[in-house]
Amino acid sequence: MREGAGPWLGAAAALVYVVLLAPVAVVVFIAFSADSFIVFPPSGYSLRWFQRLWAHEALMRGLSLSLMLAGIVTIGSLAIGVPAAYAIARAKVPAAGALKAFFLAPLLLPTLVLGLALLMALQPLRLTATLTGLALGHMVMTVPFVIRLMVTTFATLPDEVEAAAASLGATPWRVFRRVTLPLAIPGLAASAFLSFLLSFDETVISLFISGPRASTLPVEMVRYVEGRTDPLVAALSVVLIVATLFVILVVERIAGLARVVGR
Amino acid sequence: MEQPLAARNHQCALTRRMSHLTLNRLSKRYGETVAVADVSLSVARGESVALLGPSGCGKTTTLRMIAGLIQPSAGAIEVLGVDVTQVPAHRRNMGYVFQSYALFPHMSVAANVGFGLDERGVGRSERDRRVAAALSQVRLEGLSARKPRELSGGQQQRVALARALVIEPDVLLLDESLSNLDARLRDAMRLEIRDLQRSLGITTLFVTHDQTEALTLCDRIAVMHAGRVEQIADPVTIYERPASRFVAEFVGRSVVLPVERSEAGLVLGGRPVRTAHPVPESRALELFLRPQRIALAGPETEAGAHNRLGGVVRSHVFVGDRLEVLVDTQAGRVTVETSGAGAVAQPGDAVSLIWSPSDTLVFARAAP
Repeated sequence: MREGAGPWLGAAAALVYVVLLAPVAVVVFIAFSADSFIVFPPSGYSLRWFQRLWAHEALMRGLSLSLMLAGIVTIGSLAIGVPAAYAIARAKVPAAGALKAFFLAPLLLPTLVLGLALLMALQPLRLTATLTGLALGHMVMTVPFVIRLMVTTFATLPDEVEAAAASLGATPWRVFRRVTLPLAIPGLAASAFLSFLLSFDETVISLFISGPRASTLPVEMVRYVEGRTDPLVAALSVVLIVATLFVILVVERIAGLARVVGR
Repeated sequence: MEQPLAARNHQCALTRRMSHLTLNRLSKRYGETVAVADVSLSVARGESVALLGPSGCGKTTTLRMIAGLIQPSAGAIEVLGVDVTQVPAHRRNMGYVFQSYALFPHMSVAANVGFGLDERGVGRSERDRRVAAALSQVRLEGLSARKPRELSGGQQQRVALARALVIEPDVLLLDESLSNLDARLRDAMRLEIRDLQRSLGITTLFVTHDQTEALTLCDRIAVMHAGRVEQIADPVTIYERPASRFVAEFVGRSVVLPVERSEAGLVLGGRPVRTAHPVPESRALELFLRPQRIALAGPETEAGAHNRLGGVVRSHVFVGDRLEVLVDTQAGRVTVETSGAGAVAQPGDAVSLIWSPSDTLVFARAAP
């Protein structure tokens, strides 16, 4: 048997990567453009669009709202999703299988339908275009993800380890805190990361329930692109790419570390 | 045999007082399936009892019910005369050693062993001292900073044992604790566990499917089959006087021959055969013999009070520590175990098989 992929397969894979990443590369070039319009290749390079971005009030407000929203959604999703997943994985609730399927439903619905439904549900509660409303809307997306991930995480933990802790005198809460939770850190890190990014990136639902009072970054970006075609949005994209890569590296460190410490 | 009532009551009270762990008609049902049925057992302080049986006989379920990890459907568990049936696992003070060891993978060896002491609120210096003592008990000094995955199977087993012993449990529960080790390590660990158990005088329940483990480790053996206890007795009685066909077949090797009932008595291969033991009422009977209790002799040997069956040697099987001689008889093929020393009948030789009526057990034939 030959190790790794053959030359043809390798070439094909490289081609796929080029096709996938080429638009991103174009965005990076344009972000550093000195032109006033989107031209590729740019006639000169500068940091002027990054400076303009920094001074653009609506986008900056959107960014800070999106960051705060993503933080709240992450904490909320873990607070709801982790206990729910534990109950389902340990079959401590009746019809655990049916519940698991039920929590899959929001993932299968088109976000367009979900956005419209949320708008109609939140309007009478006067929660549209509020931080609370946006957080609730996003959590409809993220909680199912957290439950899916954590059910798998808990299910792969051997229950004999928990039984051993109980037989040694640990109360159910202490078992969860000293044994189950530390062993679930990789799953928790992945869940937190995913919730954060899903919320930060969410556009369709946000478009439905955002308003002048509270508008997330993706919504502001859509509005901006509707009116203008300058490299400002490209500069913003580069900032987002760098930030995401940074988060991925941090999570990889935490989760990777947990795996080394854990098993 | 008949005792005055007062004396019998007194003896009853005495055994109850001495009983450390008592199972009273313990049962577990899962829907229609009966996993454990009416298991009653009384274990004295410092005694070690094996629950022996094939997989699926309910022995692990019984052990888990004692630890409080499974809630029984019926029956009661008493420790030192106190009913603990409804007490949750974390307040039972049982040391449980799992088949998988179930060590905490994210904790060091010392933290694993110290876990139960932390949960009991034992102070830091006291805990460290007791952890060190427990680790030296199982000869693991110097490994306290290691993680479980850095240890061999035998070392992990010792950590699990130290972790269960350090809390000074009322009862030590061992679930197939040796079955994941290779044969040589298993023999060494078996002796080690027995010495530790004896020197600490700790009441121990040992679940196993391995009869050697049960026979060598335990004061008494409860043989389980299909959720029920078939027989509880000391190892010698279990081996020599099995109470049922199942026990006879499960523990040790047996020669099983069909035997008929006639007016004069039992008939084996056309010849009368005697037993010193009771014969069941059933019409279809089988005779059980231990192969090493059958003597090979010349064809015309006078058996006297013993049983005799004539046959022809078919072949030899050399098994290292013994020689098995296969003999074809009127009643069927019989395996005789000999030490292999001295002259042995060769294939084709006519021989007599001779054995004592006290080694002859008769059970009802199993339904086909």
